[in-house]
Amino acid sequence: MKHKMLKTPKFFKRLKSQPIEVILFFCASFSIIVLFLMLLFTVKEGFFAFSKFGLNLILGQRWDTNRNMYGAFPLIYSSFMVVSGALMISVPLGVSTSIFIVEVMPFSLRDIFKSTIELLASIPSVIYGFIGKITLAPFIASLFGLFSGENALTASLILAVMTTPTIIGISGEIIAAVPKDYKEAALALGATKWQTVKGIVLPLSKSGILASVMLGFGRAIGETIAVLMVAGNVAKIPTPPWNYLDPVYPVTAVIAMQMGEAAVGSLEYSALFGLGLILFVITFIVNTLADLIVKKGSLKRGAKL
Amino acid sequence: MNGIVKERLIFATLGIPMLFCLLAFIWIVGTLLTGIGTVNWKLLTTSVLKGGIFEMIIGTMYLLLGAAGIAGPIGVLAAVYLVEYAPSGKLTRMLDQSINNLAGVPSVVIGLFGYTFFCRQLSLGVSLAAGWLTLALMMLPIVIRGTEEAIKMVPASFKEAALALGATRWRAVSSTTLSASMPGIVTSVILGMARVAGETAAILFTACVSVTRGLPRSPFEPVMALSYNLFVQIVALGTPAQRVFGIALVLFSIVASLAIFAIILRTHYRRKQPWLR
Repeated sequence: MKHKMLKTPKFFKRLKSQPIEVILFFCASFSIIVLFLMLLFTVKEGFFAFSKFGLNLILGQRWDTNRNMYGAFPLIYSSFMVVSGALMISVPLGVSTSIFIVEVMPFSLRDIFKSTIELLASIPSVIYGFIGKITLAPFIASLFGLFSGENALTASLILAVMTTPTIIGISGEIIAAVPKDYKEAALALGATKWQTVKGIVLPLSKSGILASVMLGFGRAIGETIAVLMVAGNVAKIPTPPWNYLDPVYPVTAVIAMQMGEAAVGSLEYSALFGLGLILFVITFIVNTLADLIVKKGSLKRGAKL
Repeated sequence: MNGIVKERLIFATLGIPMLFCLLAFIWIVGTLLTGIGTVNWKLLTTSVLKGGIFEMIIGTMYLLLGAAGIAGPIGVLAAVYLVEYAPSGKLTRMLDQSINNLAGVPSVVIGLFGYTFFCRQLSLGVSLAAGWLTLALMMLPIVIRGTEEAIKMVPASFKEAALALGATRWRAVSSTTLSASMPGIVTSVILGMARVAGETAAILFTACVSVTRGLPRSPFEPVMALSYNLFVQIVALGTPAQRVFGIALVLFSIVASLAIFAIILRTHYRRKQPWLR
């Protein structure tokens, strides 16, 4: 308690006596200022729609610009549907790949493969969307005998390809951070390599892997351009609700498609900012939770050592 | 013996998903390469008004360089603060957390914010400058994290030597730590550029229009960009795939060469500098 009271005034005194530190501090607090402004301005612009529809903006069943009806439930449902479909593919793919890279791959190959993954992660979403539209969508259409291959399944597949590098990157880091002593201890006791992975590496990196999945979720739900090009963009909950072969219209796609036509200050404009606010809040919560999990996990591991 | 075979089998199965990732990469590059016939010198250097893509390429460059010029200095200084100056406490933890949160904001939300704040509140309009600021917000977390990593790799003894000679803290940090970590810093800025080079959602409402008359003459004019025009051509116009392929391929080569350049730079300097293992 005592050192806490001493700390704050000392910190501000230093800020005053050395101008360079003020500049540095300002740069470091830039992110927090921007986040605050972002929240402020999306709330301000979305206020009109929220005051008119209240919770119906989130729970309403109908999104129809022509009738000025803005109920985002089908859009939010679409987003979650596409993202969960993507994660069902990319999580097992990403986690097993990162185990393979860290535990099996020879060191010389590891760097090359990691660079390829990094390259895969930096391919722009507009290119993923383009390729999905001209190759994957026709393939899905002919596979299932559909008129158009632009539906939730295609969007999920494209999103899966896009989120896998994120999951590999983060869970790979976590798996590589498992202390060597632990693994060597297990191996010295006669455990095989797979037993070591199963009994030591995976349990220790469980929370980190969970965090990587959550970050992947955050990345996927915010993905816009690629999803927009292959999702079909029909604002209706599929029938039956788990039908992945129906077109969907995720939240991000709606914002990107309708923002250009919405007159500034209109109800539609405000409703789109309402959608932006929903997205902002979802990703903010998911990212904060993921960070907490990572920090808690590493603290626990430190205490054990 | 049986155990070993089983073990190998398990690890081999783990490797199959990895092949999927490689296949995905080959699929994307392969599909793009089928359009290589549409790219030639004439397409790259002819004005958009005459069927080329010259303004889009230059527009993308303008956007990238401007965003790097804003996010680079701010990001590096922020990283210096967080590594070298920040006291460990609640405020520092909050600053650190907010960088992760900024990195997690969906690009389309950043675009919405850019429109209402930069374009309307600061009355920049749909312009190059608004695009710079919006893209800089996306680059910032990448630059900060990369720079932090680079600074942390420099041994403390470098800085301590300068401090022992009587340098002030800032002198010591800027003359030893910063210069020793310069390759890492440059790498992170280039990686940040690669990450935003193909960004579409963030500049959709803030910086771009589908056709301009020539290049922007000031930062307050709208600009054309490869990513935006690719998006427009695919979604709205339905242009024959040929020209679209050309744009996609050029965009991909810009992004890929930036990323590869950054990766090579990083490996090169890690090898060259003995204190980096």
